[in-house]
Amino acid sequence: MTDRNDFLSREKFMAELWRYKKGSVTRRHFLGVTGLGVAAGVLGTAMPGLRSAAHAQGSIGDRVVVASWPNYHDPANFDAFSSETGAAVDLNVFGSNEEMLAKLQAGGSGWDVFVPTNYTITTYVEEDLIEPLDLSLLPNYDPASFDPRFADAGTVNGVVYAVPRNWGTTGFVVNTANLGGLPKPTTWKEFWDMTKAEFSGRTMVHDYQLTTIGNALKYFGYSFNSIDPAELAEAEKLLLEVKPHLFGITSDYQPSMRSGDAWMSIAWTGDGLQLHRDMPEIDYVLGKEGGELWSDFFAIPKGAPHRDAAYALINYLLAPDVNAKEVMFHGYPVADARVNTILPAEMLNDPIMYPAAELLDALEFGAAVTLTDPNRAELMARFKSA
Amino acid sequence: MQRQTLKTWLFLAPAGAWFLCMLVLPLVVVFVFSFGERGAAGGYVPAFTFDNFLNLGARWAAFKNTLTLAPTGTLICLLIAYPLAYFLALKTSPRWRTLLLILVIVPFWTSILIRSYAWIYLLGGQGIPSLLNALGLGNPRLINTPFAVLVGIVYGYLPLMVFPIYVALERLDKRLLEASSDLGSPPWRSFLQVTLPLSMPGVATGCMLVFILLMGEFLIPAMLGGGKVFFIGNALVDLFLQSRNWAFGSAVAVALVLVMLVTVAAYLRLTRRWAGGRDDVSLM
Amino acid sequence: MRIYALAVYLFLYIPIGIIALFSFNAGRHASQFQGFSTQWYGKALSNPFVMDAFQTSLTVALASAVLATLFGTMAALALQSVRGRLRLAFDALIYIAVMVPGIVIGIATLIALVTLFGWLNPILAAIWPFAAKAPQLSLGYGSLIAAHGLFAMALVIIIVRARMAGMDRSLIEASADLGATPWGTFRQVTLPQIFPGILAGFLLAFTFSFDDFIIAFFVAGSQTTLPVYVFSSIRRGVTPEINAIGTMVLAVSLLLLITAQAILQRGRKAE
Repeated sequence: MTDRNDFLSREKFMAELWRYKKGSVTRRHFLGVTGLGVAAGVLGTAMPGLRSAAHAQGSIGDRVVVASWPNYHDPANFDAFSSETGAAVDLNVFGSNEEMLAKLQAGGSGWDVFVPTNYTITTYVEEDLIEPLDLSLLPNYDPASFDPRFADAGTVNGVVYAVPRNWGTTGFVVNTANLGGLPKPTTWKEFWDMTKAEFSGRTMVHDYQLTTIGNALKYFGYSFNSIDPAELAEAEKLLLEVKPHLFGITSDYQPSMRSGDAWMSIAWTGDGLQLHRDMPEIDYVLGKEGGELWSDFFAIPKGAPHRDAAYALINYLLAPDVNAKEVMFHGYPVADARVNTILPAEMLNDPIMYPAAELLDALEFGAAVTLTDPNRAELMARFKSA
Repeated sequence: MQRQTLKTWLFLAPAGAWFLCMLVLPLVVVFVFSFGERGAAGGYVPAFTFDNFLNLGARWAAFKNTLTLAPTGTLICLLIAYPLAYFLALKTSPRWRTLLLILVIVPFWTSILIRSYAWIYLLGGQGIPSLLNALGLGNPRLINTPFAVLVGIVYGYLPLMVFPIYVALERLDKRLLEASSDLGSPPWRSFLQVTLPLSMPGVATGCMLVFILLMGEFLIPAMLGGGKVFFIGNALVDLFLQSRNWAFGSAVAVALVLVMLVTVAAYLRLTRRWAGGRDDVSLM
Repeated sequence: MRIYALAVYLFLYIPIGIIALFSFNAGRHASQFQGFSTQWYGKALSNPFVMDAFQTSLTVALASAVLATLFGTMAALALQSVRGRLRLAFDALIYIAVMVPGIVIGIATLIALVTLFGWLNPILAAIWPFAAKAPQLSLGYGSLIAAHGLFAMALVIIIVRARMAGMDRSLIEASADLGATPWGTFRQVTLPQIFPGILAGFLLAFTFSFDDFIIAFFVAGSQTTLPVYVFSSIRRGVTPEINAIGTMVLAVSLLLLITAQAILQRGRKAE
């Protein structure tokens, strides 16, 4: 079970077959990876391949503590994990990567698994807060089936610290029923201008410096990641002007959007999709100027109290069939080709999950320096306390 | 005599050690850190600079908010609590009094978190505003406003205000009131000249308690203010849990403690003078 | 006047009523009532994290209240005979402990302990004489009990001292004149008189610790107290499970309050 090159799950086989059919791998690769070229009988022995290694060895303890994001996990999958392994899952949600980092820096977070975003992982490594992953305990993780664009950030100096969970974009949601004849906004400029005028008192921004400052920078056409003091000063001026017109500053904006208290909010892909699915009048918009493209990862913090359970849970959630259920719940795209073979076609064609290429091309990944830049941190704190 | 001193020291030692380790030491650390600098990825690096204190102006809005909303909240609590305490102490039969008093304290036994959560629902669009709308009274936005925070504050701390005032009124010598009315003074006059002055210690204690707690409030603005109504407590939490600036955070904490000591000392002075130099205006 | 009182009681109880009502909601959302059910009570009682948090809260509250009451009473007794600078220092410490906001205590304790542990852990590891790995100091039960106990102890000292101020000192003198040992005097005269103060202090200390969120939020480390758990549940998106927990805590405290009241009444009648 430990040597993944010799054994192959049904799902992985299907994924490889799918990739082969699509022409993204050669016949030789296909036969090599699947082992069909070597021994046809291998498949049979590998069929029960979805058991987690730790679980197969015995008890993983009775609990596992997860730090993640709002509206991000299907509770049914956690329940299934618990009934299968006997380990109950405790989910803590956070509003920003800064908040997660602060908690880990203060020591004794008690987490077993956390979900950091691409640009933060080098900092966690530098600060010695994150555990290198033992991939032999994650048989369901298949690097070959992941799009490296969304997976590479998990590897620092050749060591794998985090495995990709899903990716997404940062745009905004707008309740079109409240537009009152106005055209639907399509740019960050319109987002901020409308907040100051027609949508006064009805807009929310994240309690998260990266996206709130980043998209204020976009108003002026600057980089989402800018740490230039002059550009940040302009963004601050805009944010302070907008502040009195905001409904709230929070990273969990779904409840207020659903209740109708708020009409517009900075939002992530999956929240956009979940809201649009339940309330078709709410649209998800990617600002034409650009904004953030990101990828989230599973990682294990140093000193995790239930390490075996952490590996078991990550491995469980990476199983393509489980991951597909997660996607159907949260509505974020995954970079795992095996999952995409299972997902229904309408999800794979969903314009919220997979935006048009020209919109996607304008987006930037967050940069490590934005996480640690003291000026951005202080700007956000000033904005909030203003 | 020698034994007596030894015993005294032994009796004081645990409490003294506890104060030293858990109060003096942490406060000294905060004081020292307030002259330091933020580390590259956050936290603290030793330094000696006054920059953190010079930068305090960047949190002026939070200080201003706290210094306006804390006294306002205290005053509203007082205005609502006084008549209730008066009613309980002087207008109820002893049979009902205990029950009614317990009913004032009971909400205090539910977590403030859960009680504030109830207000998120009540003040949100589907709560009171929709009710007002149905009655044709407009559709005001209540949640995430200073008003919502005030409601949460009053709701959270009302019992703390009722109790000391009730105790003061209950202790009041009823014969004084009878005497006053026998002398022909109308009830409002007896109230102003007898009841009110005699209940002042209770009022002072209640205001003190509520005011101290409000100055350090964090939870209610965080839950009902939508991240928009910031107290110093919120600014403080933000500095430690988001921007990870322990040095500046320490400076804000030092400033908060100083502001509290000054306002409370001024307040005590004022109430002492008010109460005519009496000494029974105490903290507890 | 009565109508006014009624209005205030309504203000106090409507939100609590809503919490209790939604704890019986069959649906998952805490804001739309979708039929009656007690499933959330079962869920809460079988949720190991709720039970854990409850146990942590109970342990911390009991430990901090017991220690605070014991040390606080001892200090209050000793302070009677202390004058001068020591007295002044203690009065100042008590005043500061009560005055400094919980949030500052929480943050100060956090950064002081994290910094201290950062120094001590490598030293401890270096001098550890046994073969097994040296223990790592970290936030948890210890820091919770110590931080909660601090405020509670100051409260106990204030309350017990107030009680002693109202005590009849002639009884102590009489007891001594009649040849009782100091311990005998304490047990038979002083203690019965200050006991209500000690009990009140203990109850206040317990309640304070059991209810505290803000200090625990900072110094709990990997432990989770009930208020911290409730806070993270609210952030996660409330289900009626939280309402069920709140309602249960309320019901238990009501029961305790009524029992205590009944016992007191009976005691009074017996006298």
